[in-house]
Amino acid sequence: MSILPWDLTVIPQRFFQFADAALYTLQITFFGILLGLIIGLVAALGRLSKRQWINSLSRAYIFLIRGTPLLVQLFIIYYGLTSIVTIDPIPSAIIALGIHNGAYIAEIFRGSIQSIDYGQMEAARSLGMTQGKAMQRIVLPQAFKRAVPPLGNQLIIALKDSSLASTIAVPELMLKGRQMGSSSFMYMEMFLIVGIWYLIMTSLLSFVMHRIEQRLKVSDHD
Amino acid sequence: MTKQTHKTDETILKIEHLKKWFGDLEVLKDINLEVKRGEVVVIIGASGSGKSTLLRCVNFLEKAQKGKIYVDGKRVKQQEKQLNKVRQGLGMVFQHFNLFPHMTVIGNVMEGMVHVKKMPKDKARTKALEILEQVGLSDKADIYPAMISGGQKQRVAIARALAMEPEIMLFDEPTSALDPELVGEVLSVMTDLANKGMTMLVVTHEMWFAKEVADRVIFMDEGVILEEASPEEMFSAPKEERTLAFLKQILPPQDDE
Repeated sequence: MSILPWDLTVIPQRFFQFADAALYTLQITFFGILLGLIIGLVAALGRLSKRQWINSLSRAYIFLIRGTPLLVQLFIIYYGLTSIVTIDPIPSAIIALGIHNGAYIAEIFRGSIQSIDYGQMEAARSLGMTQGKAMQRIVLPQAFKRAVPPLGNQLIIALKDSSLASTIAVPELMLKGRQMGSSSFMYMEMFLIVGIWYLIMTSLLSFVMHRIEQRLKVSDHD
Repeated sequence: MTKQTHKTDETILKIEHLKKWFGDLEVLKDINLEVKRGEVVVIIGASGSGKSTLLRCVNFLEKAQKGKIYVDGKRVKQQEKQLNKVRQGLGMVFQHFNLFPHMTVIGNVMEGMVHVKKMPKDKARTKALEILEQVGLSDKADIYPAMISGGQKQRVAIARALAMEPEIMLFDEPTSALDPELVGEVLSVMTDLANKGMTMLVVTHEMWFAKEVADRVIFMDEGVILEEASPEEMFSAPKEERTLAFLKQILPPQDDE
């Protein structure tokens, strides 16, 4: 019938059978990024700290995590730690995504904090603010705003990286694609469905991040 | 116009043997200075003479390696807790305004009152409006700094410092970053403040302001206070040759003879 060796009509037919899996993908990405934001902020402030040991600790964390693959980190948490503690697949995936993205987010935050004119800190201090208060009230709000575009980028990377969780049996999109493929032998069709789901989610994320950027621009208008 | 002075006999700021190095470069060489309550002191000098550094040392934005600073008779030590307290009494106005761009005009003025002095928000807002009125900007209260002119920004910066009810106001070249037509409005706010009896330490190149408002003018050169005198003396009969040379460069040629 068809000139193609694949039956593309199954794509719309099977498409929504992947919804549950997509929800898992979103879930581990969301919580992973949330954890990553917290770790990233702490590590960024650590990198800017004058206290040598805090600075070295943050530097070591970023060095180790950025220098090794997410898959290795994921396996260390899920398989490697079993002799001490057993962590379920989903929490393992969230922790791995959090720690991994935390290192990149730390560098994003550090860059955006350093890009804020030092005069802002001086003005805050001249009012009698403590260093911490000045950071919290004056520097960080401006730095966060500048961090939004690169954070959006990181969020999209994290969403796609979450597919690695399929290797530890998290029932997310990628695993679903493999299972559906092997049971029907329609690998092409099933992975096309998986790809479309990722594309929809990354597009939505880009859109949302773009809207946030626009909203934050209020104080910039001349 | 006769100049009114609010200068009293009470010493409010005293600097003793202040020395400051940037690396190997000695930028302040044994500075001694006393300022009386209500006095307006203008510091002039070429760029690189150390005048801005001196001003920044007074509220410890720069840390001098040697010397003592007394505010209100009390020795200020480089200890965070005390510094945060002392800085509240020293209003600082910067060359580049350094307004907080993510806050509205009134938000800038309220910030110190609410988050340092812990004043309730509604009370702080009322007071901020009063101060903005004083600098002629109460109609700009709810817009962002990006939407106002440089002169207006500097007036907001003055209002932000005044909100802390400082005992001394420090001005670090407050009009140097402004277009010429905007200088007047800032100087007039500063003149107003001086007339109300504010103690002021002003680094500036505006000789008009020094002549009309200052009680005392200090000429700095290569990290030392080379000469200090009343503005009348300083501008008509400077004692030091370098002062004369500096004034000749900066003042327009006299044509009244």
